[in-house]
Amino acid sequence: MDVSDAVVDHLRRVAALPDLTGTRYELESEIGRGGLGVVYRARDRQLDRRVALKILDSALAGEAQLIARLEHPAIVPIYETGTLPDGRVFYAMKLITGARLDEYLAGSPSLGERLRVLRRVGEALAFAHTRGAIHRDLKPQNVMVGEFGEVYVMDWGVDAVAGTPAFRAPDVRLDERSDIYALGALVQFLLPAFAPPALRAIAAKAMNADPAARYPDVPALLDDVERFQEGLAVEAWSEPVWHRLRRFGSRNAVLLWLLAAYAGVKFVLFFLRRL
Amino acid sequence: MDRDTAIGGPQGRFPSTQASLVEAAAAGLTSEALDRVMALYWKPVYRYIRLKFRKNNEDAKDLTQGFFAAALERDFFARFDPAKASFRTYLRMAVERFAANQHAAASRQKRGGDVEFEPVEEQAAVAESPEQTFEREWRRQLFSVALDDLRAYCEGCGKQLQFRIFEAYDLAGGERPSYALLAARHGIAETAVTNHLAWARRTLRALVNERLRGVTAGEQELRKEMRVVWM
Repeated sequence: MDVSDAVVDHLRRVAALPDLTGTRYELESEIGRGGLGVVYRARDRQLDRRVALKILDSALAGEAQLIARLEHPAIVPIYETGTLPDGRVFYAMKLITGARLDEYLAGSPSLGERLRVLRRVGEALAFAHTRGAIHRDLKPQNVMVGEFGEVYVMDWGVDAVAGTPAFRAPDVRLDERSDIYALGALVQFLLPAFAPPALRAIAAKAMNADPAARYPDVPALLDDVERFQEGLAVEAWSEPVWHRLRRFGSRNAVLLWLLAAYAGVKFVLFFLRRL
Repeated sequence: MDRDTAIGGPQGRFPSTQASLVEAAAAGLTSEALDRVMALYWKPVYRYIRLKFRKNNEDAKDLTQGFFAAALERDFFARFDPAKASFRTYLRMAVERFAANQHAAASRQKRGGDVEFEPVEEQAAVAESPEQTFEREWRRQLFSVALDDLRAYCEGCGKQLQFRIFEAYDLAGGERPSYALLAARHGIAETAVTNHLAWARRTLRALVNERLRGVTAGEQELRKEMRVVWM
């Protein structure tokens, strides 16, 4: 039976639609699709609320179980997992309304705000690592900033994920250090055009081609970012002397002003005594 | 689970699971495996040769036939290593080598290789590479054979009505009829139209996957190909 390309495209879409017979969900529309599955917006009939439904190949059932184990404020909560009549698996999760990180940055948020988002992402990643889970595909499209400023890391990966080129570590085997590489790439992505060199150095260290030369874990990277925010020297960058002096100056501005004022008063008094 | 909407239906006459290419080759079923491969790949290979090597219709047909004949004679399947590439990529590369060799031989015979290429009308019409055409044709052929399977399956288990509704709605080239119109035309409820469509689509999906199983080397490659088709 000969079919046109348009019919094939239609069939690819409709034959992939999940049959939700026997579940509490009603399909509404497609939200997005990635390498592993398709996400739909659906209505939970029992609770009369909208949810996001992710449909996965049956071989990837582990992903749903993996994410369901990760309870963290920056990880999208899973409400339920199940199996469709055709063997595929689904999980229902909180429907996040907000903007993807790449869209969010189009609003030119401040550096402090960008670093706040980075911290939330890093905390979610660090938590997952303590639970033995790694993301494998961290990128701006997998981070959502909600309408109240809350940050969610989505699309936690499984073995089948190959990663996205610009954010994927050149490692043969993906592990926690590969996530640190992706987090470094995310730092780079988050930074504005004229970002402080210390932050660029943090991104570069996290993205070192040699996994052993990266940060040993996510908290180490976040600590370095915090050091920058507090005006301290960061581990990733051996700063030049002039930069160190400038940093010292801005960090101790009040003290320096007081010293200058004291010196000024002494200077004036010195001349007054000679009159 | 509703027996009527279960894959395979109550009669359980769903086409039997096809052996993977590796299993078929190991069992000495090379000819049978080749039939399966040809059903899906003849057209994509023909189109690929036609565009890539600018062959006319007859030459492209001969080369396509020649490629599959050579594949049967040589240990084509045995040399396929799923760890290196998908079968689809392996086959396209093999076609490219085969057609390039044949093309070079033909050029030598013409003393100087001053072969006049016939214009390929499709090349001007579409802005896609021969490789993209190969992929597109492969998807189209995959669905074509799976639709033939679906029709045969529906006829075999008395689900002609389901197929007719599916054909009228999902295979419509232009504007699709409404569910209400289909329900009135066949004297059934609208919910029955929805159910029949859902059943046919689900069965088609299973049949497409079965066809893929027949031309892949195992579970891992099958899953990858399924993602290519359905994502």
